[in-house]
Amino acid sequence: MTDIKHHAYLFDATRCIDCRACMVACSVENNIDMDKTRIWVAGIGVKGEYPDLQRGTMVYHCMHCEHPDCMSACPVGAYTKAEDGPVTYNPDLCIGCRYCMNACPFGVPHFDYDKGIIDGAFIDKCTFCPQRIYNGQEPACVQTCPTDALEYGERDELIKIAHDRIAEHPDRYIDHVYGEFENGGTSYLILSHIPFSELGLPNLPETPVNEVSEKVMEMTIPFALGWGTVLSGVAVGVGLYNKKKEEKTAVEEKAEASK
Amino acid sequence: MTKMISRRDFLKLGAATAGVLAIGRMLPPKVAQAARAAGQINADGDGYVHSMCEMCVWRCGLIAKVKDGRVVKLDGNPEHPHSRGNLCPRGQSGLMNTYDPDRVLSPLVRVGKRGEGLFRKASWEEALDIVASNMLKIKEKYGAEAMVFSSTHNLSQVQFENLLYAFGSPNYGTQRSLCFNAMITAFSLTYGVEEPSRKYDDVEFILMVGRNLMEAISTSETSELAHAIDRGAKLVYLDPRYTKTASKATEWIPIRPGTDSAFLLAMINVIVSDELADCEFVKQYVVGCDGIQAEMQKYTTEWAAKITGVPAETIERIAREYAAAKHNALAHPGWRTSNFINSFQTERAIATLNAISGNVLTPGGCLSADVAAEGAGLGVPPQPPYPRVSALRLDGTPWKYPLVPLKLGVFQELRDAIITGQPYQAHGWFISRQNPILSLPDRARTLEAFSKMDFITTVDIIMNDTAWFSDVVLPEASYLERYDPLLPVDGKVFIRQPVVDPQGEAKSALWIYKQLGERLGLADYFQYEDEEDYIRQQLKPLGVSLEEVKEKGYAEMAEEEKGNEITFNTPSGKIEVYSETLKNAGFSPWPTWEEPPIPKEAEFYLLTGKVAQHTQFGTQNNQLLHKYSDEPRLWMNTKTAVKMGLEDGDWVEITSQVGTAHSLLLATEAIRPDCVYLTPGYGHLSKGLKTAFGVGASDSALHVTYTDPISGGQALSQTFVTVKKA
Repeated sequence: MTDIKHHAYLFDATRCIDCRACMVACSVENNIDMDKTRIWVAGIGVKGEYPDLQRGTMVYHCMHCEHPDCMSACPVGAYTKAEDGPVTYNPDLCIGCRYCMNACPFGVPHFDYDKGIIDGAFIDKCTFCPQRIYNGQEPACVQTCPTDALEYGERDELIKIAHDRIAEHPDRYIDHVYGEFENGGTSYLILSHIPFSELGLPNLPETPVNEVSEKVMEMTIPFALGWGTVLSGVAVGVGLYNKKKEEKTAVEEKAEASK
Repeated sequence: MTKMISRRDFLKLGAATAGVLAIGRMLPPKVAQAARAAGQINADGDGYVHSMCEMCVWRCGLIAKVKDGRVVKLDGNPEHPHSRGNLCPRGQSGLMNTYDPDRVLSPLVRVGKRGEGLFRKASWEEALDIVASNMLKIKEKYGAEAMVFSSTHNLSQVQFENLLYAFGSPNYGTQRSLCFNAMITAFSLTYGVEEPSRKYDDVEFILMVGRNLMEAISTSETSELAHAIDRGAKLVYLDPRYTKTASKATEWIPIRPGTDSAFLLAMINVIVSDELADCEFVKQYVVGCDGIQAEMQKYTTEWAAKITGVPAETIERIAREYAAAKHNALAHPGWRTSNFINSFQTERAIATLNAISGNVLTPGGCLSADVAAEGAGLGVPPQPPYPRVSALRLDGTPWKYPLVPLKLGVFQELRDAIITGQPYQAHGWFISRQNPILSLPDRARTLEAFSKMDFITTVDIIMNDTAWFSDVVLPEASYLERYDPLLPVDGKVFIRQPVVDPQGEAKSALWIYKQLGERLGLADYFQYEDEEDYIRQQLKPLGVSLEEVKEKGYAEMAEEEKGNEITFNTPSGKIEVYSETLKNAGFSPWPTWEEPPIPKEAEFYLLTGKVAQHTQFGTQNNQLLHKYSDEPRLWMNTKTAVKMGLEDGDWVEITSQVGTAHSLLLATEAIRPDCVYLTPGYGHLSKGLKTAFGVGASDSALHVTYTDPISGGQALSQTFVTVKKA
């Protein structure tokens, strides 16, 4: 139905008017409980001193990372990174350990305290609207945005559009597309006129956090085995030394005694 | 733009989904049957239906997703010029308006005292008989003019007016004097056009006077403005508050409230005295180009600087930039322009700025498009002529307000005439889809007017405050449950049709007015069988079937032939910057400066405005909008708050000449130090609104009634208040 190979969002903070149509659309589309939300607005609110003021808001939801930390932290494999972009969560597998919440650098997964082990689905987060994107529609938040602050499409194309926009209005944007490389890249790309940190985005290295942690974790067994070998060697060595020493002592004692 | 999904894909999808048939369950109800016959939903009650939003008056086209006979999602219709595939937060929340747990779902008759909220359920038969007999009683005893009718800006308004004119009352209360009387009167007098169109395609310079388009959203226009800004157009925005529109503006000018016209007059002076205007255009089409230079001379930038608080150089620079953009400059006419008694002059100055920039007829500018009357080319049911009405209108139009268009009226004056009983006493009030208890200024006075009434009926979908104080409440079907008359937009005619069956006993306004008409002996004025028959009669001249329109959501209208000659619908046929009509009525023929009152020491201007999540006084009970809107608070400048010993989050008491209200305080840098601001529509009195009751303060409880003698507009920002810790 769609020829998008890598679904992604592009959010342009200079266009966002904080109207919250995306939040309402998401709530309705995904039948979210009245006291919960999958989208929230972060940013600086109104900054500065009257009359020199600035405003900046960001529509925050799952970044759909290329290397999702939630997924690597999940001990039961409840998270999947689809090849075409979306990071999905399987409530049937979730055991409610909340490791993903601690792992996510963006604070996205939310724990649903109202649901128990029987209902499943402890965690809630943006799904990328699979019921829409695989049916030829844009995600609910994107479709309704009256100012095109949120856009949807092929990740490579969106990155190009983002860079073109910066090139066209260098005075308007910070010269950076957040999410192009952060944490190894995300499927939610952001353009902004105010520092990304003020939009509530963490300063992340290009190497995905989980690549480091996964390497460390991968090392556990070799490390344990290797260290074991070293220790065993040391133990054997010490044993041999002691044995030798004992023998030597015995010989010396013998010699002493024979004197 | 990365709209990867073409509109065709989307529609194909709709058709494909609708085409899937599943095994039927029970016999589907009427609406479902019709929708299924039209191929919109399947036997399971699933599918997509085209209709029209009613969360504000912009009326975006929508596509409703229906599942098991319930609306589950609304999307903007990509083919509708007002939505273009988008919906604002209110539009997105529309299904909560239908599924509001506080819906009134059967006719109600009051059993307790007025305002006590005690009602009993009644059948339609009984409720309509009660309403009709009371209306006839009043007509017989005091004359038809003793019945007041009020309703605002909805698609069934045409049949509401039909009911009122057939009944024979001159007393018609629209909400417009609380909204855009100033704009409509000024532009009608200057251009002969009520609501000037705005086109942003080629605009390079936009001047907005308090038009908070990023919060008071009109989906397509908000989108156009956003794209114009994105493209690099300059936006100069005048507002005492740092609104979300201000934050997107190239230049925000926190002008002193009530002084916009001084700013604009000085701009005009710069442009005409330095001959920066489009002379050719002005000479050809504008009345007043001879005298304007001399007339505007007194409005120097230094003079304006003293009044507005904006430096003279800034005004001069903006005037020059505006003039330099020539045809691609736009001075936005605004929307709710009922701010000060001089708001009419502000609008006249805006009209003049557009005229002298010559942008009027170019694609980039003001007034470029449709002057055609709404509904032209559509059929109407046959009916006899209306009875002659000789009684004066209670609202003073035109005998006290000669220039206020009759269909706008002066609502606040109507309310006051009910209290004074002058020139005669009104006895009954029929209200439809309106909440005057909250919308009119000075709520205490409105309640007093209610107490003068022998009989009050309200038609609404929820127990709004006015319904709460009524004798009979007639439950209307929501906009997703009913038909309304067709709406022409840009060469097409769009339909609002039921997406789901009405809940409970709710009925459409078209049905209610007809039933009432029949009981009042006015059946000849309502010659349609039902809603579908009404629309069939409308469609007849187009030769299009109702079924076709239901499926597509619209029908094409025949192209109107446009003549080459440009004339304006004014007495001179030209743009009247100088207006004889105004002069003859005893007002200044030129746009002029009228000094507004200013607050005394320790008083603040009380401003009202808009948030993107609510429409006027009717959406605060919508749970989704309640969920996603900020808690309503009284805005006050941070430094002022500190000076007054107030802290963010404090409870404060706000007092005006007519009332008191309590609110939490929001200390913010985003407002002038001499102003406070309240979001209107809160502070509901009806306990039948379980989500909205007890939330926020009512600005109507504080507003003092001031009427502009020219346009009849209520001056909503002319109320001054004191604030103290509660």
